[in-house]
Amino acid sequence: MKEITMRIPLKSEIMTTVRLTTGGVCSLAGLDIDRSEDCKVCVTESLLLLLHAGYREATIEFAAEDGLKISIAAAGERAEAELAPEDEISAALLGALAADVCTEKRGGTVCAVSFRFDS
Amino acid sequence: MEERELFEKYRETGDPALRNEIAEKYLYIAAVIAKKFVGRGVEYDDLYQVASLALVKGVERFDPSKGIKFSTYITPTITGEIKNHFRDRSRLVHLPRKVAELRTAIRKETERFSAEMGRTPTARDLALRLGVSEEEIVRSAEAGSTVSLDRPAREEDGGSFHELVASEEESEFERFENREELLSALEGLNDSERMLVRLRYGQELSQTETARRMNVSQMYISRLERKVLAKLKDTLKKGMA
Repeated sequence: MKEITMRIPLKSEIMTTVRLTTGGVCSLAGLDIDRSEDCKVCVTESLLLLLHAGYREATIEFAAEDGLKISIAAAGERAEAELAPEDEISAALLGALAADVCTEKRGGTVCAVSFRFDS
Repeated sequence: MEERELFEKYRETGDPALRNEIAEKYLYIAAVIAKKFVGRGVEYDDLYQVASLALVKGVERFDPSKGIKFSTYITPTITGEIKNHFRDRSRLVHLPRKVAELRTAIRKETERFSAEMGRTPTARDLALRLGVSEEEIVRSAEAGSTVSLDRPAREEDGGSFHELVASEEESEFERFENREELLSALEGLNDSERMLVRLRYGQELSQTETARRMNVSQMYISRLERKVLAKLKDTLKKGMA
């Protein structure tokens, strides 16, 4: 199994790095281009959910074996935040693109998301 | 009116004005989802068009009595339609040309920037000047990275890039045959269908621009394009049978 973990600040300028890393890991896991692009969307949507929930840092764990499993969790303190109306769309999009989507909530807001892509 | 109330009224009356009102209310969902799929070789205008059509279909089919919110119901529907659209036509036609154009633009802009600023530009500098994302700049650079022609390209038999390139050149005849088949399939289209193919695939115009030039609505172009693609696929399949 190939495992990679990143801890990142939830800032828009980091998203390019996250998307490029995700693309690299998808390639390592043998996902085709379409699935890699879907996977990038799912990673950024998950990070947006955490950002809207008030978190400022997150960890992303990639585990490549028989496809790719990605677990994204909030890290650090949570600031005051308001849920964005687009969060429902983000959650539905995750469900439409990835398999085995699980979300964990703390105090009514999302604090962790995991999903899987088959190769 | 509440969401449930609106949909219930539409299901009772089937009033097109009400359907349009609902579709307009939720058009932002089509815009949000279309944006998520930008950068895969299809223009935003086209994605938005596909997403909007899926939204209208979704409004017609949505049953509020099932107890789920419309946004939860419509997101996978729109996503599915967009992915079908990608499968139908995007990547093979648009992406290689776009990447090639961007690479040329990057090369020119790098020279210009270096001359002006006395330093090599970063991906961000180039993204700002060329009006694309940093990611597109980095990916484009990756696509253009050089490799040794003698390094093994195929793990199974150690065949080199030299051999691979040579064997690809041999399929030129096959490509010529495909072109001939396509030209003959195009003959089966009527004038407006041929015009659409010329504008959309020859000149690579967006659906919006194609609609403007043909003096029809975008909706019409979208429907006509689906019809033309189905017709061409059918003719080509029959030709191969």
